[in-house]
Amino acid sequence: MSEKNAEKRGIEDLLRKARLSEPPPDVKQRITAVARKAWNQAPLELSWTIPFRRLAVSAAAAVFIIWLANYGSDYMLARWSSGAMRLANQQPTNVETLPEMPYSLFARRLAGLDRRSFVLDASALNKHIELLRRALAELLQSDVAKPPAPAGGRSRVILNPPRAKSCVQNV
Amino acid sequence: MDRPEDNILDENLAKKKLQAVLAGDDPAAVELLWDYYAGDLFAYLQAVLRSRHDAEDVLQTVFVRIVGKRHRLANARCLDAYVFRIARNEAVRFASRRKKGRTVEVKSESWLMAKESQAEPSDLAEQLQVALARLPRRQREVIVMKVYRQKTFSDIARLLGLSVNTVASRYRYGIEKLRTLLRDITP
Repeated sequence: MSEKNAEKRGIEDLLRKARLSEPPPDVKQRITAVARKAWNQAPLELSWTIPFRRLAVSAAAAVFIIWLANYGSDYMLARWSSGAMRLANQQPTNVETLPEMPYSLFARRLAGLDRRSFVLDASALNKHIELLRRALAELLQSDVAKPPAPAGGRSRVILNPPRAKSCVQNV
Repeated sequence: MDRPEDNILDENLAKKKLQAVLAGDDPAAVELLWDYYAGDLFAYLQAVLRSRHDAEDVLQTVFVRIVGKRHRLANARCLDAYVFRIARNEAVRFASRRKKGRTVEVKSESWLMAKESQAEPSDLAEQLQVALARLPRRQREVIVMKVYRQKTFSDIARLLGLSVNTVASRYRYGIEKLRTLLRDITP
């Protein structure tokens, strides 16, 4: 460590054998003359204008950022909605070819409903939900929607199943 | 040129006076600015640009810029850092313009001089100058300010807007590199 310090000191001593040149007097005269000229040409800027200028620049920057955000948002929404519309336009798989499923009539009814209109429109969505509700109500009233009754008119749910005999009882 | 003040108290007083003169829009502030900053700025600019003539040109630009921003300097919390920031920006701008234009290559002019008392003046100064020129700018500016302007690490940190640790590590790395570069002439 001390060897390193000695080397460092040696480098510093070596560097100190040279010196930097100072600005010559003619340079001083030239520069101060130019600076004085600039001083007289540029009057003192009023300090109260600075916050106003900063405010104006900040406002301009804020407007620009908001515009940029709106533009980006519109662009992305346009892309998204076109994709969503495309998806909505795609017909689902043919429900007729689907294997038998419960409430198939309701499923067919659903497939028959217009699903395109409510993608972007809230009132259309309400209308669509109302249609769904109505279709469901109709189906509930019809016989098809009723689940098949269990055989023998009894419930399949066994409320109190008989307990298995415990081995402990025999002991 | 040495600073007119020797201690921190006097320095603070001088700065207050300078800021008062700047706020009063008195052109006499130019002289005060010169007395206070010219030596350090000139050394710093030579370290950054590695050219005395370029340093003189940029020093002029820096003074004009300072005069243009005198209202801000008058209210600046850290006057030294503000002035050196202006100098650094101007020097970097000048260097990039020089690099882009490639009109004037960095000439091998001597910005480092041998001390009058040295017996073998020019050779050593030349070698030191070449070695310093091969250092990265950030290390070179710290070494120049420390060795040739007798600044402390905290002074340099304040002037350049860096932490003391950063300045110290730059100095250490710079000295390490110089040790390698100057291996032949170190005792």
